[in-house]
Amino acid sequence: MKLLVVEDETKTGEYLRQGLTEAGFIVDLVHSGLDGQHMALNESYDLLILDVMLPDIDGWRILQNIRAAGNPVPVLFLTARDSVADRVKGLELGADDYLVKPFAFSELLARVRTLLRRGAAQAPVDRIQIADLVLDLARRRATRAGRRIVLTGKEFALLELLARRRGEVLPRSLIASQVWDMNFDSDSNVIDVAIRRLRAKIDDDFDDKLIQTVRGMGYVLEAPEDLA
Amino acid sequence: MRGYSLTTRLTALFSLTSACVLLGLGVLIFTAMDRHFAVEDYALLRDNMRLVEKTIADNTGSTLPTRLANAYQHHSGLLVYTRGANGQVHYATPDFDFAAALKTSIEASRKHVGDDDVFQWTQDGKTYRGMRATVNAAGERTDVLLGMDTEIHEHFVHAFRRSLVSYVALAVLASGVFGWWAARRGLAPLRAMATRAKVVTGDKLHERMPVEAVPEEVANLAANLNAMLERLQDDFRRLSEFSSDLAHELRTPLTNLMTQTQVALSQPRDAEKYREILASNAEELQRLSRMVSDMLYLAKMEHGLDLPHKETISIAQEAGALFEFYEALAEDKQVALRLQGDGIVEGDRLMLRRALSNLLSNALRHTPQAGAVVVEAHAEGDSVVVAVENDGPEIPAELLSSLFDRFFRGDKSRRRPESDSVGLGLSITRAIMTAHGGGISVQSANGKTRFVLRFPPRNAQA
Repeated sequence: MKLLVVEDETKTGEYLRQGLTEAGFIVDLVHSGLDGQHMALNESYDLLILDVMLPDIDGWRILQNIRAAGNPVPVLFLTARDSVADRVKGLELGADDYLVKPFAFSELLARVRTLLRRGAAQAPVDRIQIADLVLDLARRRATRAGRRIVLTGKEFALLELLARRRGEVLPRSLIASQVWDMNFDSDSNVIDVAIRRLRAKIDDDFDDKLIQTVRGMGYVLEAPEDLA
Repeated sequence: MRGYSLTTRLTALFSLTSACVLLGLGVLIFTAMDRHFAVEDYALLRDNMRLVEKTIADNTGSTLPTRLANAYQHHSGLLVYTRGANGQVHYATPDFDFAAALKTSIEASRKHVGDDDVFQWTQDGKTYRGMRATVNAAGERTDVLLGMDTEIHEHFVHAFRRSLVSYVALAVLASGVFGWWAARRGLAPLRAMATRAKVVTGDKLHERMPVEAVPEEVANLAANLNAMLERLQDDFRRLSEFSSDLAHELRTPLTNLMTQTQVALSQPRDAEKYREILASNAEELQRLSRMVSDMLYLAKMEHGLDLPHKETISIAQEAGALFEFYEALAEDKQVALRLQGDGIVEGDRLMLRRALSNLLSNALRHTPQAGAVVVEAHAEGDSVVVAVENDGPEIPAELLSSLFDRFFRGDKSRRRPESDSVGLGLSITRAIMTAHGGGISVQSANGKTRFVLRFPPRNAQA
């Protein structure tokens, strides 16, 4: 997967490149809007990450020009300005997502993966297996090592989210938004408690722990062999 | 119309008015005087006419011219001309040409009827008044014409006019000066206000207009300006408090971050230790970043904005969704969540959910084990009232009013709240309610704390 990052702030750009590269993406980084537009039009990318405020031409203009050239590549905007008008403008111009600075890198990574996955046609799954944990999505049932685990509706939704995005560190805000539809910075204690209760049901009785805490970032569901 | 000062305009107006009034008065006096002189002159002429008539009646034939000459040749002010029916002139004041007088008298007699025909004519630059009569004595008709020079009046009128003009000029000047002075004096309160306004700066917003010291026409303006200053002062105070609050709140976490990082760097450590420190830093930074976004959110709310997406919202439905979210936390603390009633309000779903979420999170934090949090909604008249009530220690009455202040925390000594709350939740909830045209209040008594949200009638919302 190849990404283009257009960010004029050098340090931010470097950190984004490093982070995204370590997450397994191929990343091109440019610092000016015109370079960014040129690269976007002449190379083939799976996703563009554009800063809105750039010294020469702003992110909106780049997006307009790319769309005018008939390029449907998904675009994620980064901005320091957070106003409803800006958000609406971005979405009207055909932006796919919008992230306000300061943002957590884990949040950015999660959104990038969501956007990339959206493009790929997904075969409908009705069963997910990770190590000995099996989720029956159609019947909303979970078993581990053949043993039935009784989960509440929201617990199952939480487990399903972690399982669908196995190996990805999911920030608390993303979990709150996806599972409970809380689209604002809410009490993140709640997520910790919910995860602890979920762990009690699926991990406590087993030696191999599937749900991991990544301090300062969030939670990830991984099979032990993935970790190795 | 801009350009001329108010003082100039008022001065000009005063001068113009007094000039008009005085000139009008002058014209009136002149007309009256002229009429008075005419009446006097004609009376004199009439008296003399009687005498002439008597002389004609008493003397007939050849003695008449002599008698007339004797009577009138030394009468300097009076012009006399008599003529018999045969065209013979009995007497005419010597050295005077009566041609113009006769012509005017004939013209006048055509226009007037009656025997006291009076008329006026001009000759050699002088104005004369005349009277004409026909005397029938001893079967003979005699035409008599008397005239008099009005020069004596002219002199008087000229002198009077001269003094009147100087008086009017002087009076106009005086009233101009007086008008200027009055305008200056009358506008003095405005200048006082301007002087006062000059000293008002960002750090001297407590200065006020002198409402007591100005006349009532200006007092209203002064009072309005004072109200404006009051609002500005309030906004200004809030803004500076906002920045100092923010700086103050950022100081502690920044110090922690800096110290921790520098201590970590001061000597080599193993990878696990570094990881530990970075993770702790990341948590602290997330808290900081959340504080910044909350502050920005609050600032946006307080600047007043239209609700982005207005829709009809069921309180019970929103509370239900929030209960699902807080369920795990509540069960963990063995706190019961209860919902009673319902209410339909209009507003932005995300904002209202956030407002309620803050109250619930707050309530859960302060409810002791085995306590309960109750959300109750009902209609009260046209408005909808939503109460969030929790068991828990009472909040001291003196703290209730500052509960909604930014960064307020009940227990000042508690260095760090148990959750990642930054002390903005209740401020944000209040700002959201204000944006919806509603309000929030709080009561704390009998081991229960109750926050009450009041929504305005649905069709009357801002």
